[in-house]
Amino acid sequence: MTDGRVVVDGTPIEYREGDSVAVAILRAGEVPGHGGCLCLAGDCGNCLAEVDGVAYVRTCQVAARPGSVVRRHPAEGKPQLPVVDLGDPSKVAPRREERVNHLWVDAIVVGAGASGIAAADALRAAGREPSILDAGDGEQVMGIYPGPGVVMRNEREIPEMVHYHAAEVLVATGTAELQPVCEGSRLAGILTPRAADRLEAAGVDLGRVARVGRELLRFEGDDRGRITGVVTTEDRIQCDTAVVDLGRAPRDVLARMSKDGSVTAAGSVAEEHPLPAAPSDLGAVVCPCMGTTVADLQTAFDKGYQDLELLKRASWAGLGPCQGGACVPHVRAFIAARTGVVPNPFTARPAARQITLAEAAADTTIDAFRRTPLHDEHLALGARMDRFGGWFRPWHYGDVVGEYWAVREGVSIGDVSTLGKLIVSGPDVVEALERIYPCHVADIKPGRSRYALLLNERGHVMDDGMILRDAETRFTLSFTSGGAANAEMWIRDWVDTWGLRVHVMDRTMSLAAINVTGPFAGELLRRLGLAEPPRFLSHVRAELQGAPCHVMRLSFTGEAAFELHHPVDQSVGLWRALLDHGEDLGIRPHGLQALFGLRLEKGHVIVGMDTELDTTPRRLGMDWAARMDKPFFIGRAALERTAKLEDQRRWMGFSMDGAAPAEGAPIRSIESGDVIGNVTGSWTSPLLGKALMLGWQRRTPFADRVEIDGREAVVTPTPFYDPEGRRARA
Amino acid sequence: MPVLEPVDAWRVVASPAAIESARWSGDDVDVLRIAPDEALGLGATGVELSGEPDAIVEPEAGYSVAILDQLEELTVREHIEWDLDAAEGLAQGKVAGVPAKLRIGDPTLLIVQTAYADELRGRLGW
Repeated sequence: MTDGRVVVDGTPIEYREGDSVAVAILRAGEVPGHGGCLCLAGDCGNCLAEVDGVAYVRTCQVAARPGSVVRRHPAEGKPQLPVVDLGDPSKVAPRREERVNHLWVDAIVVGAGASGIAAADALRAAGREPSILDAGDGEQVMGIYPGPGVVMRNEREIPEMVHYHAAEVLVATGTAELQPVCEGSRLAGILTPRAADRLEAAGVDLGRVARVGRELLRFEGDDRGRITGVVTTEDRIQCDTAVVDLGRAPRDVLARMSKDGSVTAAGSVAEEHPLPAAPSDLGAVVCPCMGTTVADLQTAFDKGYQDLELLKRASWAGLGPCQGGACVPHVRAFIAARTGVVPNPFTARPAARQITLAEAAADTTIDAFRRTPLHDEHLALGARMDRFGGWFRPWHYGDVVGEYWAVREGVSIGDVSTLGKLIVSGPDVVEALERIYPCHVADIKPGRSRYALLLNERGHVMDDGMILRDAETRFTLSFTSGGAANAEMWIRDWVDTWGLRVHVMDRTMSLAAINVTGPFAGELLRRLGLAEPPRFLSHVRAELQGAPCHVMRLSFTGEAAFELHHPVDQSVGLWRALLDHGEDLGIRPHGLQALFGLRLEKGHVIVGMDTELDTTPRRLGMDWAARMDKPFFIGRAALERTAKLEDQRRWMGFSMDGAAPAEGAPIRSIESGDVIGNVTGSWTSPLLGKALMLGWQRRTPFADRVEIDGREAVVTPTPFYDPEGRRARA
Repeated sequence: MPVLEPVDAWRVVASPAAIESARWSGDDVDVLRIAPDEALGLGATGVELSGEPDAIVEPEAGYSVAILDQLEELTVREHIEWDLDAAEGLAQGKVAGVPAKLRIGDPTLLIVQTAYADELRGRLGW
């Protein structure tokens, strides 16, 4: 009797109602994979195949459906990824949108076997309301996460992903049958007892069956890779199918997945089971998913990888789709036989079943990017916007060089609303900032400001910005756009840790900021009503065109610059007023691209772009920013310790004729051609008429001349432009 | 369709005791306690604190608010990953992946920093 057909490697085969894909293939006299002992319970990786375009599917867990297309994985190597025609996206086959259903439940029991039913009954008796999930009902649990959360694929009706949020999870998945590890164990025609029972119940002809247990020595086969006989300690049996009963092990992949205290194992999965005999046949495959042999284990073990986690990484045993479901008992026995200690199983990782990118990505959201209040103004001015530091920012307005010259020779405005802005206040605020920052703070007078690095305990640069003193016990702090959130957490955390009386208010998204910069910047501010713009590193509060502004005099561009921090709802008016009043001064806005070039000419660092995770002030050539005459600041002890050591890294300036190379370009030794560093920022300077670069040398002695982009570049002191800083102070 | 629009407010960071005794000005002030040491007074035109000279008290223009009816609130809840079982109160987290606050009550308010408002509108299809 036939109930339908599936297509396997291009050939239709018949199946009967209730057949899984694996059973249908076996019924047709074929094998779903390429040999190995089949469990037909979802524990091993021996029946993996591509089903309807999805690879690594356990065919024993998928019901045969009319028209299903099955492609067996290649005997060697990985299944081919779907080929996408990048030139014509319309040729990509449309995929259904994955649905995610979020369910909040009291308790989840994974597994509807005897121990699962018992666990659920016990919960009900305690007044709880458990939900039972079972793979046999098409409920494929992909992973268990802290929370606890359970991610499941529901294959019963309309396929969907279900994210369960539970107070408690009980894993009652029972036991898995041990796989043989001996000569011939990769032959086709080997079954566990449960698999044999299932096939016999389904009416699949197994031919001559040999049933063996721990007396098994090896399997024998023909040149087609099919079993022909079994050799035991007592006998040699001719057969078409071998049924191997070596005992059981916990089916604990899901139980090994979460260390969350609200996830527990229940029933036989939580019990200790006798390990199999340590595998001794060096040629035998112990991990069918990865093809790891006993000899591979021995080689890694002999190299010193004798801990289970290390042996896993060194030999790859347990890294495959079944997450060690088949091989972990054997690897534990292998180690126990050599060390006398039985190691605990290793942690398993989601996903426990194949999962498509669409299923994994379903209902997730990409990072939200912020818009400044001037976003629409930038668009109206023809800006090309880009994502930077968590914000949409104008990259340029169509004429980078023109924007550059406006800053150098006239006046320009830039949107710096994205800078981090904190107010800190309190009787202990000076003490807190002295401990947090590596520079002096107490001597900053109200109305004055200081540039500062922010270091972590290792003395590595986390961020930078300005410290502006508003009053004796109140400061405004600024940070980079991308580092602001981290800096805020950092400061709050330390203030709490030290128990200091300091209030912190984040104003990053409450205040916008416009940078007015260029030789005519002061004149422009006077036109807007600020009779006396602050001098360099000073700051004042003033009303400009009706907008209450905190006016800060500093310079990132190398020219006179004033940051106007003001409420976000007044930003558009202020921006337009600046453009109107500066029209005869040749005002134009500048984007990030011009700004990066301007700062590069000054040799200013951009933390996160120029720096690495272990960049110290010394490596940046900014030792002056860490005042070692202070008794304490975060990172001081590390800087003091490492100051005595030779350092082989330095961030420095380079210049050469011609156009600037790509950022990230390798820096090579002229003598050897070896890569000795990389470019972090580069710019063809319109003013200096050559390529300027900032970058790293990572080999001592530091070279004076290097090769970049196939050209000779010379190490050049920074700033490249106005080294005395006269223009910024003008 | 709910309208998410900027709102005038005042913000205070101070000791819990000072915040609890704060006197908010304005006709229809909705005070949200967004942290033990921080309060946001939606609709406030000013706020007075006593006994804490180092408190940070600032006018706040960086928030946008939408008033939700029951159906709109249900729609918003579908975009929240965490369990929102409270009958009323302030919930803070992410709505459709965007940092936001939901003040459940009469009326229910969706509050988001204006820098994120366009992103949230887009994700909610508003």
